[in-house]
Amino acid sequence: MKERRLQAPTTLDQESGRSLWESLSKTPSEQGETLVIAFNETEKMDSLGGAWLVKIAEKIHKSGGTLKLEGQQGSVAELLEMVAPALQKPVNQQGVEPGFFEKLGDTTLAVLAESRDFLELCIDAIYWSVLAPFEGRGFRWEIFVDEMYEMGVRAIKIVCLMNFLLGLIIAMLMAKQAESYGISIFVADIIMIGFARELAAIMTAVVVSARTGAAIAAEIATMKVQEEIDALRGMGLNVNQFLVAPKLMALLVVLPCLVTLGVLSGVIGGSVWGIAVLGFQPTVWFTQTLNSAFLEDLAQGFLKTIIFALGIVLIGCHNGFRVSGGSRGVGLMTTRAVVMDIFMLISCDIVFAAIFYYVLG
Amino acid sequence: MSAPLVAVKDLVAHYGDTLILDNVSCSVNPGEIFVIVGGSGCGKTTLLRHMCGLHAATSGSIIYREQDITQLDEDELARLQRTIGIAFQSSGLFNSMTVGDNVALPIREYGDVDERLIDAIVRMKLSFVGLGDSGHLMPSELSGGMRKRAGLARAIALDPPLVYFDEPSAGLDPIMAAGLDELILDMRDLLGLTFVIVTHELDSIRTVADRILMLDRGKAIFTGTVEEAEHSDVERVKQLFERRPDEFIAQRNV
Repeated sequence: MKERRLQAPTTLDQESGRSLWESLSKTPSEQGETLVIAFNETEKMDSLGGAWLVKIAEKIHKSGGTLKLEGQQGSVAELLEMVAPALQKPVNQQGVEPGFFEKLGDTTLAVLAESRDFLELCIDAIYWSVLAPFEGRGFRWEIFVDEMYEMGVRAIKIVCLMNFLLGLIIAMLMAKQAESYGISIFVADIIMIGFARELAAIMTAVVVSARTGAAIAAEIATMKVQEEIDALRGMGLNVNQFLVAPKLMALLVVLPCLVTLGVLSGVIGGSVWGIAVLGFQPTVWFTQTLNSAFLEDLAQGFLKTIIFALGIVLIGCHNGFRVSGGSRGVGLMTTRAVVMDIFMLISCDIVFAAIFYYVLG
Repeated sequence: MSAPLVAVKDLVAHYGDTLILDNVSCSVNPGEIFVIVGGSGCGKTTLLRHMCGLHAATSGSIIYREQDITQLDEDELARLQRTIGIAFQSSGLFNSMTVGDNVALPIREYGDVDERLIDAIVRMKLSFVGLGDSGHLMPSELSGGMRKRAGLARAIALDPPLVYFDEPSAGLDPIMAAGLDELILDMRDLLGLTFVIVTHELDSIRTVADRILMLDRGKAIFTGTVEEAEHSDVERVKQLFERRPDEFIAQRNV
């Protein structure tokens, strides 16, 4: 096996280290050769000199060769001993890349495991929220009231504003189409039915998921990272009873209230356009609005809010509990919770639309 | 005797209205391991954080490299802070980056080094602390002791002459703590670093300290070598080295 020798300088620092590297780079290294660096004249060395030595070792390892250091003494020898692990050939940290079917299998198993966890959380949370209080097993009423304030009262302004603006936009859009047929008054019907059945529920739920869903995921994830969840378990407390149940009950109560305000705001938004721009008398516009609404339209909207509330809280909690990796994990899980919430809202709405408009007629 | 690397003079510090440091003075010589000791809540970490320039003092001065840290503006202080390394009690690693990227961060930001060399420097610094093959891991994948060592590797990334280390042995098993003490001694001997360490672990103090400063309720009550401390007449110092509880705690436990 071919051997090549280099003499290390008296002082191995950034400059002399670079020269050593460049002298090695000038002549191409042969496959499997041994590079011997003599340190017998080296009296001083700093960490940047050491870093060039690491660079030389990497080059030698890449060409399949080996690096030998000889003649070092005193403090240089001790420093080289500390650098020694970095001069070794790096172990392959990547491992074997899994194939397509392995990846598919891993993904399927991961999805199944997550679905099972989510289902368990749903069952446990619903039990502790709905059934356990009636069995006298305790419910945190104070936290429930605090959560209602946080999730409901503090969201009123943004929910009303968003629905008002949406009502205004829908009225503008529909009025343009209806005017050409001379049926502008039916814009009032469209706004009322639209908001009662679909728009108020979905718009309010989107606002709440961005606000409350994200907050729930971040809160629980932070608690998990700071071992507060483990502390609760260590005290023998049921985490779902302690944390999830008050949030779930609170949103089940406040979301229908917010949707009611959303319907009113949307209708007011539409009426502003109808009265101020289309020129209808307020009595005419509001009579048309009230005549267009039936109880079943409102019931459709409110039925959705129960599923939406369950989904927002449980998805937020589920993602919070799954966090790992400190602050970065908290951010990732919060984002994931909001994305899953919005996907859930749209998916559920499609199912509801299919049931209400086609199955039930 | 050479001039001190750091000189703290009559330092007074408050948190809100609470007095934390009361006219504390001390000096750290180049190449020594200076240990700040004292009971919980006596102001050890506060003193360290003031010496690093992380907190503003109420009064007094901290001279480092002929500049008074307490009088510097933000930019000057930032420039000076690049010449010190700080290893935090909880490691202070960025969870969103790999261990290697954590160590590379100060080098990329401030280091005047060849870009080709950064990976090699990172590998070498991690090897110094025994984490040569852990550069690709995330901080959350490390144990407590490994995180401390990675934090130390980041602290020495720019080859600072002075390293502040808050509670190196806290939460570590005795073997890991002894390993970290060895590492600190090696770094002082081989790289010529000066360490200012906050700890209350007696074993660590006896192993690494060249000189100690003892604080008690915000006041400096003793400065000297470990040997001098072990034979000190100051009651609080004797109590620390003999591991004697306060009277009222001892009575309460009877």
